[in-house]
Amino acid sequence: MLMKILNLIILLVVPFLMIGIIRKTKAFWGGRKGASVFQPLYDFVKLMKKDFVISKTTSVVFRIAPVIAISTVLFAALFVPMASGSALINIPAGLIVFAYILGLGKFFSLISAMDTGSSFEGMGASREACFTSIVEPAFFIVIASIMAMSGNYTFDSLSQILSSAGSYGVLITIFAVLALFLMILIEGCRVPVDDPATHLELTMIHEVMILDNSASDLALISWGAAMKMLLISSLIANILIPDDASALISVALYLLIILAISVIIGTVESAMARIRMSHVFKYIFIMSSFALVVLSLVVARMFGG
Amino acid sequence: MISYFIGVVAILASGILALVPALKVLFTGETIVKTFDFNPLFGPVNFVIDPLAAFFILVIAVMSIASVIYAKGYLKPYLEKGKNLRAHMVFLTGLIVSMILVVTCQNALMFLICWEIMSLSSFFLVIFESEKKEVLRAGIKYLVFMHISVLFIIMAFALCAIKAGSFDFASFSAVLKNNVHLANIVFVLAFIGFGTKAGFVPLHNWLPDAHPAAPSHVSAIMSGVMIKTGIYGILRMLSLIGTPSKLIAYGVLVISVISALYGVLYAITQHDLKRLLAYHSIENIGIIGIGVGAGMLGLAYHNPVVAMLGFAGGILHILNHSIFKELLFLSAGSVYTKTHTRNIEILGGLIKSMPATAILFLIGSVAICGLPPFNGFISEFLVYFGMFKGLSINSFFAFTVMIFAIAGLALVGTMAILCFTKAFSIIFLGMPRSEAAENVKNDTGMSMILPMSFLAALTLAIGLFPQYVFKMLTKPVSVLTNSGFQAAGGEPLTIMQTISFVGLAFVAFVCVLILLKVLFGRKIVLHETWGCGYDRGNNHIQYTASSYASPFLSMLKPLFKKVFDVEKPKKLFPKSAHFSLHIEDIEEAYVLNPLLKFDEWFLSKFEKIQNGNLQTYIKYGLLFLVLIIAGCMLV
Repeated sequence: MLMKILNLIILLVVPFLMIGIIRKTKAFWGGRKGASVFQPLYDFVKLMKKDFVISKTTSVVFRIAPVIAISTVLFAALFVPMASGSALINIPAGLIVFAYILGLGKFFSLISAMDTGSSFEGMGASREACFTSIVEPAFFIVIASIMAMSGNYTFDSLSQILSSAGSYGVLITIFAVLALFLMILIEGCRVPVDDPATHLELTMIHEVMILDNSASDLALISWGAAMKMLLISSLIANILIPDDASALISVALYLLIILAISVIIGTVESAMARIRMSHVFKYIFIMSSFALVVLSLVVARMFGG
Repeated sequence: MISYFIGVVAILASGILALVPALKVLFTGETIVKTFDFNPLFGPVNFVIDPLAAFFILVIAVMSIASVIYAKGYLKPYLEKGKNLRAHMVFLTGLIVSMILVVTCQNALMFLICWEIMSLSSFFLVIFESEKKEVLRAGIKYLVFMHISVLFIIMAFALCAIKAGSFDFASFSAVLKNNVHLANIVFVLAFIGFGTKAGFVPLHNWLPDAHPAAPSHVSAIMSGVMIKTGIYGILRMLSLIGTPSKLIAYGVLVISVISALYGVLYAITQHDLKRLLAYHSIENIGIIGIGVGAGMLGLAYHNPVVAMLGFAGGILHILNHSIFKELLFLSAGSVYTKTHTRNIEILGGLIKSMPATAILFLIGSVAICGLPPFNGFISEFLVYFGMFKGLSINSFFAFTVMIFAIAGLALVGTMAILCFTKAFSIIFLGMPRSEAAENVKNDTGMSMILPMSFLAALTLAIGLFPQYVFKMLTKPVSVLTNSGFQAAGGEPLTIMQTISFVGLAFVAFVCVLILLKVLFGRKIVLHETWGCGYDRGNNHIQYTASSYASPFLSMLKPLFKKVFDVEKPKKLFPKSAHFSLHIEDIEEAYVLNPLLKFDEWFLSKFEKIQNGNLQTYIKYGLLFLVLIIAGCMLV
């Protein structure tokens, strides 16, 4: 029970800190002092208090989309193991429920962007829809391969991979983590796929989709996006944390890994430039190839001599 | 009008009369057998309602009733123009009755007759607006495809009948179960025949032409129900064969994955709304096929869990697809009635003038993408889950094929999201892109909204209470798996209960949040859409369907043929310019059309025989007579 409450707190608070740490890291590499790591939380509170400015073109879809966006992420979180090891709802094939609930949120964020009738937001929606469709199959291959290897189709199998599969386990872990890390960059709309800090609409993906959102809508969407990053990071953490670690150690490791991921994202953002839009595909296909490496390692382990 | 009412009464009566025994069979699991004597032509013919047939009757009856009620509003403008509806209603009734007969009849000859009545009446329904040239063309294409398909079915049945010495399905089964090679050949022939009806790639080509040509309520029945009779045929053959061979199971799975991907890819390229929906039918037939294929692999590898989950997912998706596809076709019909166009590029902003239709289309879109908490998710989940379980079949091939099928299904899901966010937002959101869209003042009448709302409620009901539907599925699935269902059904049932619980909680949570937002939300200031510093954006700078799909399609260029129609602006003061992009089906462009061209060339060699000269024809007749007499004497 205590673990579940702790998980809930992590789910609600850590996303803000992740964004804060990423920004702090970027400030560090840029030689700036940077805002406090709690700044995203302050922004959230401030946005919640503001009045809405809404386009005349929009319809009811635009009003309910942010609500659905945040609800889907919260419900998807029920199926993901976080600090405590097991997910709150730990069913076989939870992967599918997880991915499809997030899909519902994506559906609504896409149509809400299109609802404004703005060509910029249309552009963002179009790109987002396109990139997701390449990411998703790779994600399924990574997780399904790992699940197949343990023969247990819940997310619990993630934590068994490192300890149970010997030297294959180490290799699979490396490539699965790499693939999932790329997925964070893509789904979380970080550099080099997207630049959350830019103000040039033509080059943005996620940020441009929410150009017209304001006040609590914007707050909920940003919170949801950060939470999604946390969920994928939790998958990475679960692959890396050993199965037999005690509760306290695994919580500590979990937080440490989330911190490390945030710092690495910040470093990547400082070190790399944004890729030209037409080349983003190639970048995303790197994730697909990592996924295939994971698959082939699993096949080799299961059917190889 | 009177002909419409007689037709409606006939269809309602046949639908309800068929529903009663079907529901009884589905609930009790007892098979109803009625034997009619058709001596001396066929001998005794068995009409059997087993759980599988009962399931299909349920789909046929419910969907037909919904769309026939809808037809009142849709046909009204035609009636006002003085169109005679008598023939239309006769064929509509004929189609529905023959579909019910097809799924109950257990005699090959009688089956073929019902099948043919079904194909012909649907042909006449497709050419409802036969004064339009493209409609007639699509209709004839459909007719030709159906007759190629029936040819293969006849071959399959004939092979069985020769070996069995009878036309009864039960006697086929006895032969097929003992002869693996015969079973394989018969199944392949039947798969080609029935698969053409269902729309599996590469036999799908009639589908995207016929569906847009037909009136919307007919497209809804055809896409929602009629193509499923093809699936019924495949499943029935499977139940006769018992355990399929591994190779065939892999074949079905691979073809289904390809169909699903092909269908959704081409759906993305379309901007004719009904063509887009027609391509989605191919996609969904593919998903059904993936379920069936996984189930067959389960049977072939003697894994009851995989078999049960695969078939359950496939069969449930039959019901689900018919519900949301019919919903989508009917709402497309409503949009067409109001705007008189199927080209989504010139629509937009309709959610303001047609809110009910827009919400219903949105529900259909979310359901067809397989997203929770709607029904599409349940069947896709079962298919996925079956394939996950299939990964543990200890075979290299099963593992790799299944995992790529899983990835394929994931890709299909995300592409469907791309396609339906495109369709929904271009039609209903943003600003109107043309006068046709701007001039819509009100929504369609209640007779059109009501059946659609009923379907929308069904999608949500199945999505929120999947455990009851899953229990109902046990009986039709056990026709295919014979046994092992009860043993394997426990785990999925608890998962269904969990999904139901989460779904209900989700809906409640969203409702509460919306309520909070309405009650405690901050003040709203209305403003223009942010134009990034520019003022006065007009309707034409909005994103279009083509531009929305463009980044994705640019990645997959080799998979379709682009046909540009461009007139560039010329000189200093250009008078006119236009650009349009049309995407052709790669199969049609590179396989069918060359084949047809060759056919035309080949047949033109025989033109000389028909020279219009009476004497020549008499000569032919005489020659023929002599040949026949000579032949008879020789024998």
